[in-house]
Amino acid sequence: MKRKYFTAIAAACVLVLLGSCSGSKDRLYLYNWIYYIPEDVIEDFQKESGIRVVVDSYASNEEMYNKLLAGGKGYDIVVPSGDYVSIMIAGGMLQRLDMGKIPNYANLDASALNRIRFDTGNRFSIPFMMGAAGVSVNKTKVSGYEHSWNIFERNDLNGRMTMLDDMREILGAALKYLGYSVNDSDPAHLEEARLVVEEWKPNLVKFDAESFARGFAGGEFWVVQGYAENVYIEYEPSRYSEIDFFFPKEGMPMYMDSFCILKDAENVEAAYKFINFMLRPDIAARVSDYLMLPSPNVPARALMTVTPNYQFEDLAKGEFKEDLGAQTLLLYNEVWRRIRVGN
Amino acid sequence: MRRGPGLAYASPSLLWLTFFFIAPLLIIVLYSFLTPGQRGGVDLPFTLNAYRAIANPSFGKVVVGTIAVALAATFFTLLIALPCGYYMARSSKQTLLLLLVIIPFWTNFLIRIYAWIAILGNEGFLNDLLRWLGLAEESVRFLYNRAAVTLVLVYTYLPYAILPLFSTIDKFDFSLLEAARDLGATKFMAIRKVLLPNIRAGIFTAFLFTFIPIFGAYAVPLLVGGTNSYMLGNLIADELTKSRNWPLASAISLVITLVTTIGVMLLLRFNGTHILEKKHEKA
Amino acid sequence: MKKPDFIKAFSFSRTVYAVTIMFLFMPLLVLVLYSFNESRSGSWTGFSLRWYVKLFTDSSDLWRAFGNSAIVALSSALVATVIGTLGAVGVNWYRFRLRGYLRTITFLPMILPEIIIGVSLLVFFSGLGIRLGLFTVFVAHVSFNLPFVFLLVLARLEEFDFSIIEASRDLGATELQTLWRVILPLTMPGIMSGFLTAVTLSLEDFVITFFVTGPGATTLPLYVYSAIRFGVSPVINALSVVMILGTVVLAWSMRRFLKNIAAK
Repeated sequence: MKRKYFTAIAAACVLVLLGSCSGSKDRLYLYNWIYYIPEDVIEDFQKESGIRVVVDSYASNEEMYNKLLAGGKGYDIVVPSGDYVSIMIAGGMLQRLDMGKIPNYANLDASALNRIRFDTGNRFSIPFMMGAAGVSVNKTKVSGYEHSWNIFERNDLNGRMTMLDDMREILGAALKYLGYSVNDSDPAHLEEARLVVEEWKPNLVKFDAESFARGFAGGEFWVVQGYAENVYIEYEPSRYSEIDFFFPKEGMPMYMDSFCILKDAENVEAAYKFINFMLRPDIAARVSDYLMLPSPNVPARALMTVTPNYQFEDLAKGEFKEDLGAQTLLLYNEVWRRIRVGN
Repeated sequence: MRRGPGLAYASPSLLWLTFFFIAPLLIIVLYSFLTPGQRGGVDLPFTLNAYRAIANPSFGKVVVGTIAVALAATFFTLLIALPCGYYMARSSKQTLLLLLVIIPFWTNFLIRIYAWIAILGNEGFLNDLLRWLGLAEESVRFLYNRAAVTLVLVYTYLPYAILPLFSTIDKFDFSLLEAARDLGATKFMAIRKVLLPNIRAGIFTAFLFTFIPIFGAYAVPLLVGGTNSYMLGNLIADELTKSRNWPLASAISLVITLVTTIGVMLLLRFNGTHILEKKHEKA
Repeated sequence: MKKPDFIKAFSFSRTVYAVTIMFLFMPLLVLVLYSFNESRSGSWTGFSLRWYVKLFTDSSDLWRAFGNSAIVALSSALVATVIGTLGAVGVNWYRFRLRGYLRTITFLPMILPEIIIGVSLLVFFSGLGIRLGLFTVFVAHVSFNLPFVFLLVLARLEEFDFSIIEASRDLGATELQTLWRVILPLTMPGIMSGFLTAVTLSLEDFVITFFVTGPGATTLPLYVYSAIRFGVSPVINALSVVMILGTVVLAWSMRRFLKNIAAK
């Protein structure tokens, strides 16, 4: 008897599977960073437009890009960071945008748009959020430090510090520390940067992009390089004062995440509607409140009710990460591998 | 062994694996001989560059480190799994004991790793306990080194070793052990000389189920390893995603596959012929 | 059954088993604790059911991911168990062409790094124009589950007394009857182990699934992995506790059925 039940359940599963193959065209498929847009904003869009939004999430540009590169299809909108915008433009993966369909583009801060090199004039990408990884220090444990990358040289904090497991962020930090560009392609400068990182490395517990925030909040790590929103979410608001989040005075690599419509998107009209909706001041303000990040959307700033983790002006000393090009990327890889594996 | 409808039995497996595994594998073989594309992926012309790049000494270092961790973790896993499998096989509540081993693993892997971090961390439960007992004043650092990676790997792969051992020990004729004892063998001798040789197939399978996946481990070294716990799995993933060097990632994977396959074949020959020959006699 | 001499060895193994089970369940205790923690951080701030409330009122994405995972795990484990068991029976009893080939290719999916399997399958599927979704995830999961089932069943079959089969034939049983009445019951522990391993592997897999999944077909591990930088939400802990309880209740209600299998 029971065996029959079992077979029935299994058969039902297989049927559901087969049924799930057919996609639907009246839906908007959004491939986005996890927790980047609050669920109620998506719901409001669905109510206003009558378009159903299906959201899938990724945790890094690389994941999203490799998936699409290997032939992953079915998405309409992706939200790559600047360097990946230019890679995807060059790879012919994105659609040229019709600005007439995105009137709210005018809300974006011109001072930010002018610094964009990955897609000058925003022909393929519409900026959504910008920010940078900085350094968080646990003020109850560490004192007497400057707001500088040199904090990672302090060997009295040995075993209490982490940096991101991210080639561009680490080498970018070292390059900035030395006074170079985060996109520097000079092998001699990179070698200098490598030596800087080799000096930091013995003081670090690990290169970590996954669980540093939790370790920081739990008192395990005292100094971490990473994104502010990852750190703050682990804290109750009453303990915010324990955190000193700063951008080092030497500058830092910075990102701009932008909405792009994929070339093989099936629901282009809905995609435009969605992007324009996201640039509406009230909506942009809700997103920024939720992320506790400053908004590149000028009229949205006045509507925000939450104090962001840092101010828009703080990003002035940052520099956007640009695509390095194949040759320079190889160079970076080699340097990074030497750091990661040891000589 | 004899002729018969063997192919009929085996054809679903054959077809499935050929179609959904060998065919994609051939794509990887092809990729390994191509040039990295400007923006990831692959491009013409054909080249051996990826294989030349493997000669890089930094790879050797990762391989040696990976083998050391994988061997240590496999050894401890088998050491624990053998008595467990033995106890389960002799018990009358087999299904319950089996489920007890399996159920913890139906909880998401990452969440369990996070729980380990909470246990082993500097401010974790274990350090709290040690301090409370007065055994340590400063916190002991358990995490973020190779020992932590090994411990969590043992934890992760234990059931995959216990299951094959259990199912082979279960069909072992335990009266043989008693006979050996009657003939004057010590318990240890009886187990070593009678039980272990008879469950070789199970030990071999358990070894494969642990050693090979550990060899490609990715998430565990990433989460509980330190600055020096970079393993082969991480290297391949980084080459593929971050460095966007698909041919190199393919080539490294193929070399590992080839070396491991040869190793398995040799082991199978030394270990397996014994088993197979006996069956020939029976048949 | 008398167990005089080996009673000591028996209790040694029992101790190891008991300690091992404690070892395996230790993280789960932490997880249960955290699921009742008031704050989402690692330190204990007070008892609260808020994460359970959130789980049952405001976590539709999570439940959808859970549903996808359950469907894929059960169906792929079942198919892999059927196919793999048949393959093992064939390889073990009979000599046929391609036998060596099958033995070799069953090792390969275990050896090849997951990320490479994921990418190659994705390239393969998109080359064939197959729409990505739960179905492609199912296919991929069967592929990596199959070798485990195959080897587990084979380990059970090896050194099996062949004369039983001969006897069954001599008594006039057909091939199918022999398979169904003789071989399968005797192999049941191996098959059960194989099925359970397959379910477990399928529930755990992240890397391969990431590549072969399509829009809207997010599984639980994918959901958790993409959220990892934001720490593991206690809602996921709460879901895990509910899942464990569910499994226990299911196992309890099916205990008669399970006992029958074990008795065979």
